[in-house]
Amino acid sequence: MTVPFPWKTAFRLAWRDARASPGKFFFIALAVAMGVGALAGVRGFCGAFRTMLLRDARTLMAADLAVREFHMATEEEEAILSSLNERGVESTWVTETVSAMSSEASGRPLLVVVKAVDPGKYPFYGKIELDPPGPLSGALTGDTVIASPDLLFRLGIEIGDEVRLGDETFRVSAVVRVEPDRMTGSFNVGPRVMLSREALDRSGLIRPGSRASQRYLFKLPPEGISIEKAREELRAVFEGAYITDFRETHPTIRRGLDRATNFLSLVSLVALIVGALGVAMAMYSHLQQKLDTIAIFKCIGARSSQVIRIFMVQTIALGLAGSLAGVLFGWLIQVGFPSFLPDYIPVPAGLEWQPVVAVQALAIGVLTTLLFTLPTLLGVREIRPAIVFRRDMEPPGARAKRGTVLRVGLLIVAVLIAVAAWLSESLEVGAWFAGALLVSLLALNFIARLLMRFLKAVPRLLPRKLSPSWRHGVANLHRPGVHANVVLVALGIGVMFTLTVYILQASVVGQLALSAPPDMPNLFMTNITHTDRDGLEEWITQYPGVEGDVDLVPSVAARLVSIDGLPLEQVYDRRRGRTYRATRNLTWQRKMPDFLEVVEGSWWEGTPEEFLVSARESTAKRLGIQVGSELEWMVGSGPVRAKVVALHRAEAIRPGSRFGFILSPNALRDVPTVFYGSARVAPDQAPELQQAAFEKFPSVTIISIADVLRIVQEIVDQIALVIRFVSAFTVLAGIVILASSVIATRLRRVRETAILKTLGATRARVTGIFSVEFLILGLSAGLMGSLLATAFTGLLLEELLDVRFEFDPWPHLAAITGTAVLANLAGWLASFQILGRKPLAVLRGE
Amino acid sequence: MSIDNPILEVRGLLKSIDSGTHRVDILRGISFAVERGQFVAIMGPSGSGKSTLLGLLAGLDTPSAGKVILDGQEIQDLAEDDMAVLRGRKIGFVFQSYQLVPTLTAEENVLLPLDLAGDGFAGAGRARGLLERVGLADRFDHYPVQLSGGEQQRVALARAFVGRPPLILADEPTGNLDSANGKHVLDILVELNRSEGTTLVLVTHNRELAARADRLVTLHDGRIASDEPLV
Repeated sequence: MTVPFPWKTAFRLAWRDARASPGKFFFIALAVAMGVGALAGVRGFCGAFRTMLLRDARTLMAADLAVREFHMATEEEEAILSSLNERGVESTWVTETVSAMSSEASGRPLLVVVKAVDPGKYPFYGKIELDPPGPLSGALTGDTVIASPDLLFRLGIEIGDEVRLGDETFRVSAVVRVEPDRMTGSFNVGPRVMLSREALDRSGLIRPGSRASQRYLFKLPPEGISIEKAREELRAVFEGAYITDFRETHPTIRRGLDRATNFLSLVSLVALIVGALGVAMAMYSHLQQKLDTIAIFKCIGARSSQVIRIFMVQTIALGLAGSLAGVLFGWLIQVGFPSFLPDYIPVPAGLEWQPVVAVQALAIGVLTTLLFTLPTLLGVREIRPAIVFRRDMEPPGARAKRGTVLRVGLLIVAVLIAVAAWLSESLEVGAWFAGALLVSLLALNFIARLLMRFLKAVPRLLPRKLSPSWRHGVANLHRPGVHANVVLVALGIGVMFTLTVYILQASVVGQLALSAPPDMPNLFMTNITHTDRDGLEEWITQYPGVEGDVDLVPSVAARLVSIDGLPLEQVYDRRRGRTYRATRNLTWQRKMPDFLEVVEGSWWEGTPEEFLVSARESTAKRLGIQVGSELEWMVGSGPVRAKVVALHRAEAIRPGSRFGFILSPNALRDVPTVFYGSARVAPDQAPELQQAAFEKFPSVTIISIADVLRIVQEIVDQIALVIRFVSAFTVLAGIVILASSVIATRLRRVRETAILKTLGATRARVTGIFSVEFLILGLSAGLMGSLLATAFTGLLLEELLDVRFEFDPWPHLAAITGTAVLANLAGWLASFQILGRKPLAVLRGE
Repeated sequence: MSIDNPILEVRGLLKSIDSGTHRVDILRGISFAVERGQFVAIMGPSGSGKSTLLGLLAGLDTPSAGKVILDGQEIQDLAEDDMAVLRGRKIGFVFQSYQLVPTLTAEENVLLPLDLAGDGFAGAGRARGLLERVGLADRFDHYPVQLSGGEQQRVALARAFVGRPPLILADEPTGNLDSANGKHVLDILVELNRSEGTTLVLVTHNRELAARADRLVTLHDGRIASDEPLV
């Protein structure tokens, strides 16, 4: 006969049971809150950011429609621009490039992003905010620039001081506080200056063939021409250009944001799982304490399913309470998150709260909690009512049968994969994530068991005389209800995770610093004109510290028009490949450079009269070009035709190796040319050389590997900071679990302290015993985390990233001591008031 | 009756508990002295203040007024830590509910007072000897949960005597045991007390048990109702 057992009754019984021990449950709910908070915070922020991209799309591109290309407008392009203007479309032209800048205060030139605008028109939407406040047209005259705050700092100057850019000197008239289209610009990192087009022309930075991005911004009239129409007309003329309008809401940014969301969600999921482990542990020790009650329940006729239902209600309530707190917490994270972001992502105020995200986080929180507690709950079935009578003899357990655990384990893995796949929007990533997590958990658990076994033996090995505190402290780890295993795993996974992120970051950046091999160039020069060319080559070759030859490579902007007479558009159709960006720079060479290898055909001899070309093998394959093909380009004002005589392959990263086509010298003889170059200089001479070159050849931009590395490092550091911020929640969850396990054993600790005091223990002695216990927990968790982090990073770096792994003991030592300190702090916070109790009251209170 | 050089003396001992709204007087002026080597039983109905008195004697709590003089030293004003150290040297305590440390084995529990006093190493032989004397020669490595109530209490006896304290205080040591086990534990307690030359102060409900003492003090409502030698 089955008696109905409504959830309502289960709920009532669960409540009666839980209200007796509120403290125990409070902390464990907090552990869940950490994970849910991280999840809700990250996803909430990203969701809000997305909404903002959509809402403020026009402001973020400062226009309705934008076209970007890497060469000056051709005649056809100019024509469509004026045609649009005649029909009421406003347009303005923005040029962005990179150059060196210096000041009196700091002689060393600094690499800056230069952006030229028409202050009368730009921006169409949004507003440039300046400090001191004022209109853009007032701040930008022919001899002034406005700068980002970090530029002033780096150059050691103030508003009103002068800077040198290219051939000229400019006065800094203001600092840019807000630049609406910052995220959509071509160059996003490093200090920036903005100037008027007139000022840019004076600086002499831009010449035909210079590497610069040209952006045309459009504002459509309310009536007359639709955005589709305008876009279509532009598309027809601006071949190979990148065209966006505000309806697309920044595909690049959004893709990046989505990827970041997916990744950080998984990181948060780790924190959440740690929290769920904590709930499972708390429920387990709760059930152990309730063994008698459960047995009595069973004696008076309760079925296992009823008992399970009661504790399941408690678990769900715990998960729900933790998740609700987590959602609240997530909102705080969402608000605080922007301060961890690189400052090139301007985060406007008023990011909205995302109810959908809150519900998702809540659901995942409760689901994960319940899932991990399931094996414990099912253990209720194994509790025999008879223990009421023979409790004293054998400590009975509430462990589920092996088969059940296995089945539940499989269920957990399956759901974990599903959740991870959903969060990362990829089944593959989800499976990998769940697999890696599972392996880590199992490995941590294995090590934790070994360690506990070892620690159990230790007290007997330690000399009696030396260490009663140590022996007692170690023995405390085996105290019923401490669950040192779970605490170690939870804390260990947090340490492992945070440390892995840190080491990866450090190794990748370190590797970058090492990755300029001795014989490779470490100085790159751009924007060298015909006039500067010979002088520069001679000057730099003789400069002290410069080793070997200086390579200077000419570069000409050109657009590939046809192959063997077939227009390029039809070539795409035939090959069905990705579009080939037709506008690329060409170069010419007399002799074949040493780093090239001709794989088909043969290089020309001397300076041939006819126009010949060698194509890079990969480019040729892509476009179906063979030796003997006839190619045609538009170069500047006219066409250039050349015959393919060779296919080549480049081995090294040198100026020239990236060109798809190398022509014979005569082919590009009369075309305006810019030269690029590279050299190898003793690293400590590089800054001096840069400075001297800047004095002598102001419009030539010299970039050293160090400059580039600094920028890359900044980006990597900032990304890693964000990841560490999120992964720190994993550590926090672990710490909270430690605290809650201490609180769960509080009664026992109070009683034991009383016994010890009765037997003559001083406060210091009792403190020592507990400290040893927390210390060992912290040290062990730190050690385990550090071991696994070493294994993980070693594997990732060597196998996946192909970076040499070098063990640096310091981060590990810092992590281990840090965890020990945190563990002690948490342990003592949770032991609050235990020491001060009078023994008699405690012992009589039995 | 005046005793020369008593091991323990109390004078005008008062203990009251303030429960916010009203005050409960548990001890209302107790004075007596215990001769070295004596076996004193303290009896009285529940709530007469027996256990509170014993706790004050051991310095486990502080009196509201009055003095407790242990081996010539006033202890009522001692700082907590000083008291703990003194207790370790002078007093062995036996509880009704054994109070063994669950994470330590029988032997380790017995050694605990010596460990705490800093000479656990020297005492290993003594601990084993005592465990043998209480009949637990084969249970050295057992944890408290693996022992029966009587066995646990015998471990507690060994623990109380291990540091050779001059004074043993026992609070209903047989209260949780059946009569056979209770008698066994009491026999051991009395025998150890004799052979070790200690003083024993024992609180009990049990007349039969009290009858084996040298002296019987009866408490009633926080005062000494009678104090008589037994022969």
